[in-house]
Amino acid sequence: MQQITIHVTVNDEAYTRTVPVNMTLLQFLREELHLTGTKEGCDEGECGACTVLVDGHPMNSCLVLAAELDGRRVLTVEGLAQDGRLHPLQEAFLEVGAVQCGYCTPGMLLSGIALLDLYPHPTREQIRKEMEGNICRCTGYARIADAIQLAAERINGKA
Amino acid sequence: MMQEGRDWDRLVVRRKDTTGNERVIGHTQIRKGGIAKVTGAAQYGADMDLPGQLYAAVARSPYPHARILNIDTREAAALPGVRAVITGEDCPTLFGSFIADQPIVARGKVRYQGEPVAAVAADTQEIAREAAELIRVEYEQLPVVNDLETSMKNEVLVHEDWSQYDCSSACFPVQGTNIGDQYHLKKGDVEAGFAQADEIVESDFTCGMLQHTTIETHTATAQADPISGEIHVWVPAQSPFSNRGLIAKTFHVPLEKVRLTVTEIGGGFGGKYEAKCEPIAVALSLKAKGRPVKLTYGRHEEFAATVCRSPVHIHMKTGVKRDGTLTAQKVDIQWDAGAYVTTNPRVDYNAGFAANGPYKIPNAQVDAYVYMTNKTLGTAYRGFGVTEVATAHERQMDLIAERLGMDPLELRLKNVLQNGDVGITGEIMQTMAVKECLEAAAANIGWKDLPDRWVDEAGNLCGKGIACFNKLTGTPSTTSVLVKMNENGSLYIMSASTEMGQGVTTTLPQIAAETLGMDLEKISVAPVDTAITPYDKTTTSSRSTFHSGNAVLEACKDIKGQLCRLAAIKFGVAPEDVIYTADGYLQSRSQPEQRIHINDVGASGILHEQPPVVAVGRYGTSDIFDPPPVEGRQSKRPTVMWMHGAQAAIVAVDPKTGRVHVKKVGAAHDVGKAINPTGCLQQIEGSIIMGLGHALMEEMIYEDGKLRNGNMVDYKVPTFMDSDVEMKITLVEQAHPEGPYGVKGIGEPGLAPTAAAIVNAVCHACDADFTSIPIKPEHILFRKERGHASEI
Amino acid sequence: MLPKFELYMPDTLEEACRLKAAGAEVMAGGTDVFVNMHGGKDRSGQVVDIKNIPALQGHTFDEAQGLDLGALTTHREIELWDVIKQRYRAMFEGCSRVGSVQIRTRGTLGGNICNGAPSADSIGPMLVHDARVVAAGPAGEREIPLHAFYLGLKKLDLGPDELLTRIRIPAPPAHAGSFYIKYTRRDAMDLALLGVSAYVELAGGTLKTVRIALTTAAPIPIRAFETERALTGRPATEETFLAAGKAVLQESHPRSSWRSSAEFRLALLEELTAQALRQAVAVAKEA
Repeated sequence: MQQITIHVTVNDEAYTRTVPVNMTLLQFLREELHLTGTKEGCDEGECGACTVLVDGHPMNSCLVLAAELDGRRVLTVEGLAQDGRLHPLQEAFLEVGAVQCGYCTPGMLLSGIALLDLYPHPTREQIRKEMEGNICRCTGYARIADAIQLAAERINGKA
Repeated sequence: MMQEGRDWDRLVVRRKDTTGNERVIGHTQIRKGGIAKVTGAAQYGADMDLPGQLYAAVARSPYPHARILNIDTREAAALPGVRAVITGEDCPTLFGSFIADQPIVARGKVRYQGEPVAAVAADTQEIAREAAELIRVEYEQLPVVNDLETSMKNEVLVHEDWSQYDCSSACFPVQGTNIGDQYHLKKGDVEAGFAQADEIVESDFTCGMLQHTTIETHTATAQADPISGEIHVWVPAQSPFSNRGLIAKTFHVPLEKVRLTVTEIGGGFGGKYEAKCEPIAVALSLKAKGRPVKLTYGRHEEFAATVCRSPVHIHMKTGVKRDGTLTAQKVDIQWDAGAYVTTNPRVDYNAGFAANGPYKIPNAQVDAYVYMTNKTLGTAYRGFGVTEVATAHERQMDLIAERLGMDPLELRLKNVLQNGDVGITGEIMQTMAVKECLEAAAANIGWKDLPDRWVDEAGNLCGKGIACFNKLTGTPSTTSVLVKMNENGSLYIMSASTEMGQGVTTTLPQIAAETLGMDLEKISVAPVDTAITPYDKTTTSSRSTFHSGNAVLEACKDIKGQLCRLAAIKFGVAPEDVIYTADGYLQSRSQPEQRIHINDVGASGILHEQPPVVAVGRYGTSDIFDPPPVEGRQSKRPTVMWMHGAQAAIVAVDPKTGRVHVKKVGAAHDVGKAINPTGCLQQIEGSIIMGLGHALMEEMIYEDGKLRNGNMVDYKVPTFMDSDVEMKITLVEQAHPEGPYGVKGIGEPGLAPTAAAIVNAVCHACDADFTSIPIKPEHILFRKERGHASEI
Repeated sequence: MLPKFELYMPDTLEEACRLKAAGAEVMAGGTDVFVNMHGGKDRSGQVVDIKNIPALQGHTFDEAQGLDLGALTTHREIELWDVIKQRYRAMFEGCSRVGSVQIRTRGTLGGNICNGAPSADSIGPMLVHDARVVAAGPAGEREIPLHAFYLGLKKLDLGPDELLTRIRIPAPPAHAGSFYIKYTRRDAMDLALLGVSAYVELAGGTLKTVRIALTTAAPIPIRAFETERALTGRPATEETFLAAGKAVLQESHPRSSWRSSAEFRLALLEELTAQALRQAVAVAKEA
C-alpha cells in the first residue's frame, strides 16, 4: 500500500506521520492519533458526527484523506477546551441541556464553532441552516440552537 | 443549577400534589458525566482499543430467503492477517429471549437480506473486510415473504417448525404458520357492546417500518477465553444483565463467567436492548484463541441487518352512543415482524394493553398476531408498540368525533379514564391525569380558539389535532443498587440502569442527594459492569428512575442508619440517641450540639478505621403484580405504573406541493414528579421531533425482501432544518404512590402521541382520511377530500 | 473505510490528464468519489487529486466577462459570494442546498457537473444561466455549452484525457432574474426529488428571454427548449407561468421508483415550473 508523509497541526500540536493514502482524516484522528472524540456515524457524509474543522472550515472527516492534510490545521473536539477550561460553547451545551447521548455532540460543537465564526449573533434560522449537516436523534435540536445563542452572547455580547 | 427563565424553558409545571419544596429534585441539574461528552473524553463502544485486539467483519446474505448449499471460507482464511473465520457450523446454539429461533450466524438457510453467513477476525479492519468478501457461498433462492399479506397465506414459511425451538412461556407461535406470537385481551362482550351502540365506526391504520437510527451504530468488543470459559464483552448495551444471561446460555458457560462492561451508549431507543454484535464477537474471540475482537457495524449494515420497528396493520371497530359514550371496541393487530421473533412478544403484549387507549370501554377485545417475514428484525422501539396503537386508536377517536359531530377533545374528555374508573383489564385505575394532560396539551396550542381547519395567508391548509395514550411499564421486574461511601464522605451509586442520554445517572444521584440532604456534587453513578454492579433487569420501558430510584431510597435509608451508629461512637452516646435530621444532620438527641452534617462526614473523622459504609437497595414488583392470564388478560394490577400524556399539533399543508410544516406542538405529560425538569423536557422535545419524522418522513422501504433505502439520506431522519416547531410543554405532576417522590416514567411517553396528533392535524387540514404513516406529499396531493368547509 | 488505491496529486494539468487517460478516478472534493468508494460502488485502483492544479483554481466576476469559475470552486464559495446572490440567484438557491455545509465546503462545481447526477443541484441553475464549460487536454482547450456537455446518462462530452477546467457564465443584463426550486422530502441533506430552474430577461412586461432547466425529470439535467420557445415574447403574467407548467410536461420523462411515482413528479413539475418562473420574474423586477 502506497504511503505518504504529512505534516499536520491538530489542536495546535504538530504531527508528522506516514500514512496509507487511502486513510481518511477520521481514521487518522481516531486510529493514528488516538483522538477518539471524533465519531463515526455513517462514513459517507450523511450524519455529521465526524465533523472537524480544517483550516477553520467544517468538513466530514470521513470524506477527507489524511493525505490531503499536509500543511493544514485541524481542530477537533479535544482541542476546544483551553487551559483547563471549557470553551463557552461546550459550557453552554451543558448548561442548556443540549447534550443527551452525546454521540453527535463533538460534531455539533465543531459545526457550532464554525457557525459562530460566520455569524457572531446568529438567528434561529441561520443556526438551523448552518447546522443542517449534523443529525441528532435525542434532543430535537431546540436546545442545541439555544446553546449556540447563549454561547454567542457570552463570546460576542448581546446583539 | 441551570439558569432559569430563559427561552429554553418551554415548561409549565402543574403540580397536582407534590410539595415543590424539595432542595435538589424538582430543580434542573446539569447532566452528570456531561463534561466528558463535550470534551470528547467519553468512551463509546467503538472507542475500545485493547492490547492484541482483532477487528471483525461479517459476510452477509445478498438474498432475503435462501437455502445455503455450501460455504467456502478457504480463501478468506488463507489471507495473511486473518485469525479466525466462523460460519454457522461453529455456532450451533440458537438464541432469542422469548424463543430461541435465531442463529448467531445463519445455519442451513438465510431468512433476511443481510443475515450473517460468516464472520472474520483479522489484524486490521481492512483485512477483515477483504476476507469477508472472499467468503464464497452457494445459495438456492427461496420464495420471499415480503409483507403481511404473503405471510398470512402461510404458503411459504419463514420458520418451518416452531416446535424445534426452545420457547419461553411468554411466546405463542402457531405451528405450521408464520405466526410467531399472539396476544388476546377480552373484557366483557364486544358483540353485546356493539349491539348497544348507536353508531359503529371502523377504520384501518398502517404504520411503516422505522429504524432507531441512533448515531452510534451497534458495536461490541469481546474477549472470550476458550480454556477458562471466561467471557468479557465491552458494549453499549441498554440491558447488560439480559445480554449476560443470553451469552451464558448461548455459549454454554456459567452465568458468573460472563462479564459485560457497559461503555457510553450513543443512543438506544430500544435498538440496543438485545444482543446484536455481542454473540458474533464472542464466537470469533473463542475461535481466535481468546484474543479480543471488536465488531462495529457500518451504517449500511445497521440499516440492513440490525433491528427496526415492525410495520403494523391495525383494524379498529368501535361502538358508540350518540352522546359519545363508548360501548365496545375491538382491535385487530398484525405485526410484520421480520425474520426472527426477537422481542416482538413483548411489543405485542405491551401494545395489546394499550390498544384501546386511556378510555372507559366496558367491552373490549384485542387480537394481535406477530407474522414473520423475510426482512430485518422488528424489536423494541421507544414504547414497545404503544406509539403504533396510539396512532390507530387516536385516529379512530377523531373518526368517531366526526361521525357524532363532536369536538375531538370533548369526545376524549368524556371517555377518558380517571381515578376509580375500571381500566382495560378490569383494574381500578389510580393516579390518572390524562384529563389534565389533554386539557393542558390543548391549551398549549390554543385549541379552543381554533377551528378544525383553516387556510392561512399563504394559502396553506391548516389544521389542529390532538392525541393521548396510556402505556404500562413491564411488570414484574426487579432491580438493586449498591450505595457506597468513599473515605472522604462522597457517594458512589452502583446501578445497572444504563445511561444512554435519558439522564438516569443524574436523577438517581438527585434522589440520593434529596433524601440524604447531601450536596449533589458529592454523589455519582459508577460505570456499569455486570461483575460489580448489582442486578437490574433492563433499561427499557421507562422504568429506571422509578425502579432504581426506589432502590436508591432504600439504600440511603440504610446509609443513614450506618452513619448514625458511627456518629454515636464519636459523640460517645448510645446508637439510638443519634438521629438523621431532614436537613442532613447526624445529631444527638440528648446533646443536640453534637451534630455532623452529611456533607462534612468525610472530614469529621467518623469514618476513620470503622466498618465502611455500604448499603444495598432493592426494589421489585412481583408482590404487587397480578399476572394477567393468557386467556383474556384480565388483571387487578397488570403493571406497577401506567404512564400517560397528550399532545396537540398545528400543521400547515401546502396543497400544491403536499409538504407539511408542523408549526406547533403542545405537550402535557404526567411525570408524577419531575426529578430533573430539563431532563423531562429533553425527553419530550426529542420525542416530538422523532415523532414528526415518524409521521411524515421516515420509512424503511422493502421490495421483494430487499431494502431500498438503507442509508441516512434515503431514510430520512429529521435534520436541524426540519425542526422548526414551536413547542410548549406542560409537566403534570400526579404523584405515583409507589414511585420515589411520586415519579413516573418519561423515556418513551413523549413519543407515544406525537405521530397521532400530527396525523389528526393533517387529516383535519386536508379534510381527508390518511390511513398510514408516514403521510407523504404524494398522498396529500392525490388525497380524496371529504367536502367539509374550511374557514379562511 | 476506503478500498486500496494509488493516489496522485499532480500540480500540472498535463500530468492530471495523463493519469485520467490511464484510468485514474478524478477527485476534487471527494464528496462523490469517496461516498461511492465507502459504499463499495467504486473500486478505482488509482485516484488523482486535482486540487493542486492552478488551471482549475480561482473564481472571478466582471461585467464584461461574467463569471469565470475554476472547476474547483466549491458550492460553499458560491453560496457565500455576494455577486452570486445578487446576479445569479438560481445558482445561490442551488448551491446553498447541496448536501450540508460540510459537503458544500468540499464539493466543487466541476465535480457536480462531471458527476452528472440527474439530481445535481448546481447544474440546472448553470444551464439556465447559459454556462459554458472549458475542457482541456493534450489537444488544447475547447469551450462547450453546458447543455451540450451531457450526451446521455453519465455520458459527458469530455475525452478520457480531458479535464473540465473552468466554467464561464455571462453576466446577466439588467432586468434579468433567475430562480431554482429544489423539492425534497426533507429540508436538508436530501436529493432533489425534482428541481426547476428558471431564468428570464424582461422587456417591459414581456419575457424577452426565458430559459428553463429541469432536475431529476430525466436521466440527465435538461433544458426545456420547447417551453422556452413557446414562452418567449409572452407577457410575464400568472397565466403564462401556469401555461409554462403545463408545457414542460411534454418535455420531461420522470420515472416511477420507490422514491415517488412519475405521476407525482409530473404534478410537482407543473407546479414548480410556474413557481420558479414567478420567482425569477420577481427577482428580475427587483434587479
